[in-house]
Amino acid sequence: MSMSLADQDKAAQQGKTRHLPAWKVILKMVQFRPRLWLINLGAMVLLTIFWQLPGIVMREFFNIITGNEQAGFTIWSIAALLLAFELGRDASLYGLIRSNVPFFVHTMTLLRKNLLKYILKRPGAKALPDSPGEATSRFGNDVFEIPLFALWLNDIQGIVFFGIVAVAIMLSINVTITIVAIIPFIFVGFIAAAATSKIEQYRRASRRAAGIVVGFIGEFFGAAQAVKVATAEEGVIAHFRNLNDDRRKVALRDRLFNEVLNSIFRNGVNLGTGIILILAGQAMQARTFTVGDFWLFVFFLDGISELATFTGLLVARYKQIGVSVERMTRLMEGAPDKALVEFSPVYMDGHFPQVVYPAKTPEDELNSLHVEHLSYHYPGTDQQGGFHGIEDVSLHLKRGTLTVVTGRVGSGKTTLLRTLIGLLPRDRGDIVWNGARVDNPADFFTPPRCAYTAQVPRLFSNSLRDNLLMGMDKTDSMIQNAIMLAVMDKDMADLEKGLDTMVGPKGVKLSGGQIQRTAAARMFVREPELLVFDDLSSALDVETERALWERVLDGASNGTESSEGLSSPRKFTCLVVSHRKAALHRADHIIVLKDGMVVAEGKLPELLATCEEMQRLYHGETSEEKEERTVRV
Amino acid sequence: MNIPLQRYWDLLSTHVKPQRGRFAFLTVLLLTSIGLQVINPQIMRYFIDSATGSTSATDGSSQGLALAALAFIGLALLQQAIGVSATYIGENVAWSATNALRAELAQHCLNLDMSFHNDRSPGELIERIDGDVAELSNFFSQLVIRVIGNIILMAGVLIALGLQDWRVGVVYAIFAVVALVVLNSVRGISVPYSKALRAATADLTGFLEERLAGTEDIRSSGAVDFVMLGLYKLSYKILGHQKKAWMMGLVVGLTGSTLLVVGNIMAIIAGFMLFNTGLITVGTAYLLIYYINLLGRPIRELTQQTENIQNIGAVTERLAELRKIVTRTVEGTGAEIPGGALSLNFDDVTFGYVSAEPVLKNITFTLKPGEIMGLLGRTGSGKTSLARLVFRLYDPSNGQIRLGGVEVRQPMLKALRRRVALVTQDVQLFQASVRDNLTFFDNTIADERVLQVIEELELSEWFHSLPAGLDTRLETGGRSLSAGEAQLLALARVFLRDPGLVILDEASSRLDPATEQRIERAIDRLLRGRSALIIAHRLGTVQRADSIMILEDGRVLETGSRLALASASDSRFARLLSTGLEGVLA
Repeated sequence: MSMSLADQDKAAQQGKTRHLPAWKVILKMVQFRPRLWLINLGAMVLLTIFWQLPGIVMREFFNIITGNEQAGFTIWSIAALLLAFELGRDASLYGLIRSNVPFFVHTMTLLRKNLLKYILKRPGAKALPDSPGEATSRFGNDVFEIPLFALWLNDIQGIVFFGIVAVAIMLSINVTITIVAIIPFIFVGFIAAAATSKIEQYRRASRRAAGIVVGFIGEFFGAAQAVKVATAEEGVIAHFRNLNDDRRKVALRDRLFNEVLNSIFRNGVNLGTGIILILAGQAMQARTFTVGDFWLFVFFLDGISELATFTGLLVARYKQIGVSVERMTRLMEGAPDKALVEFSPVYMDGHFPQVVYPAKTPEDELNSLHVEHLSYHYPGTDQQGGFHGIEDVSLHLKRGTLTVVTGRVGSGKTTLLRTLIGLLPRDRGDIVWNGARVDNPADFFTPPRCAYTAQVPRLFSNSLRDNLLMGMDKTDSMIQNAIMLAVMDKDMADLEKGLDTMVGPKGVKLSGGQIQRTAAARMFVREPELLVFDDLSSALDVETERALWERVLDGASNGTESSEGLSSPRKFTCLVVSHRKAALHRADHIIVLKDGMVVAEGKLPELLATCEEMQRLYHGETSEEKEERTVRV
Repeated sequence: MNIPLQRYWDLLSTHVKPQRGRFAFLTVLLLTSIGLQVINPQIMRYFIDSATGSTSATDGSSQGLALAALAFIGLALLQQAIGVSATYIGENVAWSATNALRAELAQHCLNLDMSFHNDRSPGELIERIDGDVAELSNFFSQLVIRVIGNIILMAGVLIALGLQDWRVGVVYAIFAVVALVVLNSVRGISVPYSKALRAATADLTGFLEERLAGTEDIRSSGAVDFVMLGLYKLSYKILGHQKKAWMMGLVVGLTGSTLLVVGNIMAIIAGFMLFNTGLITVGTAYLLIYYINLLGRPIRELTQQTENIQNIGAVTERLAELRKIVTRTVEGTGAEIPGGALSLNFDDVTFGYVSAEPVLKNITFTLKPGEIMGLLGRTGSGKTSLARLVFRLYDPSNGQIRLGGVEVRQPMLKALRRRVALVTQDVQLFQASVRDNLTFFDNTIADERVLQVIEELELSEWFHSLPAGLDTRLETGGRSLSAGEAQLLALARVFLRDPGLVILDEASSRLDPATEQRIERAIDRLLRGRSALIIAHRLGTVQRADSIMILEDGRVLETGSRLALASASDSRFARLLSTGLEGVLA
């Protein structure tokens, strides 16, 4: 069951992350695309003017029929003007859309780019603070809030401009009526300010009640068997009804509060209009206040009420943005807080940059890799006498060798690989490549130096070619070579469109083994110096695995050397997790892990002679582990 | 437009009917509110005419003017109050009706057999029972409050105008019809563009979700720049689609506002001409313009609602389908199960979740009243399935199961399940009060009884640590409980029900010795005077059993009294005892 909303609220309150103030993020986005923002502002001001002018012209209409006409206006010129103002309004709206669409997309792309950049910088296997789905929603809703508010600043400027002009005109017509009619709005303003925190409070209560209902549905359907067996159906449904009813009450309270608030805003207009009526009656009889004036006052009052409503909305929304910024920053754990708003190109002109993979230099070539005293404990697993992870592991790789890490389920094999190549942040230990210390393994162990195939690799919804290359510039024959090495060649025959077949979650469904071999091909095509495989055997049958080792380790025979200009007899240095005989027999060096620590290392014959754990692993899995496998499958 | 109103009504009618009174009140409020909206400008007209002295009928006294002004304010306030009440009552009707529907659907689903539940994730059912029903609720308020309300408002305005001057009424009516037709056809042109924009946005969301789940692959393949390029390309696509979609949206909006301006121009020209010929007063001219703008709102709203309303089709279809599913478990005829400890007989029982792959094959055994049987076997040997058959969570394809001598299909399901209890390894705890968790939401059980059981199970210490006693809320998944306490709570549930047969799936995870002993004592007490089938994971547990049955691949491998099997040197049980290999038990 996923976390309920109430829990999320709690978690969000506890884990406060340091972040930029919301206004700074908004300001930065305005600075990122100042031209678009200013065009938008200009369009908004024009829109306001063309919104105001019809009111003024309509006043002249009433002046005409009441005989107070000003020079030059006829019914026809008024009609023409109304149409012209509509065209002016159309043009302003056009300008608004031409500027706000790019402003939205440019700034949202920048924010998303910065988020993604730092998420990809954090240790890969270290979980995101929330589920990928939750994280994705931050890339959507939370990112959207920022440019929205930046553009609302233009709306509010337009409305304030409207208000100032309106009040000035009203004052020029009748000072007393203006002042008295505006007074209700001062109260409305106060109420709005006081109410915003309440609005949020009610909304949160309403969301929490919804979260409890949804959570309970999930709980009792998740426990459907237990409910049936205990004949608790009626009791559960009765409880469900109660929760539903609580939710109804809270939701109604939320709704009622909002309605009353809105109604207060609307009544501001009605009250103002009523006041005008009371005061204007005598003035109209005395002909100092015309029907046209009356029309204009009511028209302006309507606009001013929007000002009050919108200001309230803006204040409430600003608080919301603070939360959004915090949620986004939390995804970028460890990055400087300015990283979210760092400027860089977003290529919205359609001229995209080339993806460049660093070419292999002589320094990249692996001669030796030494790992000393590497340790990583999973957070919160240090308990009396035990831990989960690896402790004090050392290993030494030479060019062209195969090193196999083996051990029982849960002995720390995968953790060792991940910690070494920086997918998990090591607690202790040194990594030395060709005699030079590696400070940031996460950045260092990437192609062309190193590539990695996880136990459960992921493909993306894309063509097979794009999945293999991911932007690399390689010919099809190079791809075919990699596919050959990964023993994927036979599977290719099943794929109707060959390299152009769509694979990944939305494409052709590949088997677990096919996915793993595709990931291996993805690794081979990068021609890394060091290959790191995590347990291919879990998805490969014995035959296929043997073929794979033959091709990878004795690769000289398939003639790829000449085309790729590599001279070493064995192309690759391999570090793999496996307990298959095919790999163990070929290994130059075997490391046996138990409970996160090295219990023995050496070549297979000596280990079989001396190490009990090795014998156990070699002579078949124990029944216990077989059990474990069946449970997992 | 094809609105599946019949299906919609089928879903909600039974739940709206009990609220007939409120519904009628809501209708009255809505009509009054609409009436006030139409009448209030008439006061304005009266006022203007009086103030400008253009009507001979009114004396234009300042007292009359002030009264008119106050009436205006009063009616406006009244209209707001009615509007708020109408929304409140409307929402209340909608919530009450849809909550009742939620409960109905939840109960319906809960009563369906296990094959239904195995096919569907809780998330999917949440989507149906909460998400889809919420759509129905939105539809309710949109249909009743907005669409029907706006149609009546429109009719009201047109009638008021017609009373004023029938020609004006006719012209406005034609205008309203033309505006609706034009807007509806223009709205259509923007639909494909907004669809394309939604698709592009969904592409980006999908892209991000996959990448966020695959950060490890991206990092270790050195493909960060490639992923960034993907982000630029998809964003650029969105830019293009958004420009077009918003522009088309603008065209729709502009059509609406242009129509309104045309209406306004029509109104001022008509007003001017009628005024000049002396047919209407200034106030009426004001009214004409006011009404045309009042007409603008329902026209706009009606256009906007059509798309929302069309979406309801898929929702009602999904819910109607869900309601149509029937359980495959056939209810019994009501035979009585005897009291006290119960016997259990399996007679040549064969069963498979898929008929071609039986997981239990020709199982025959007898458990005498008060007897304790230890059930052993590897994972997948059929132990859990055997237990499920006793509760009729599934029915065997062949053979008979008798409980207390009664064939299990004879009694009512509830009666059967009340007499048998199941204690599983993973204890299902709910985010609810301790009381509800212990009684499993059965509020007929008195607190004294609950407290007594807590005492009996040595849970008093834990109980006294609770801040609000039985009312203390447990967190999701019982995070605040230790594994041992959760086990004890599960046992407490059984104590509160007093069954004649207990099926116990022993916890396989190890607990600290103290807790383990507490659980052992609780089980001892629980099994006193009851028959029991214990799915054992440890040899220690089996010591309690009178008899042993070992399953392998869905068949009975051996069965007999514990002592006899233990002393027979060639029995699997004896071998197990001698090797002490507990792994085989799991």
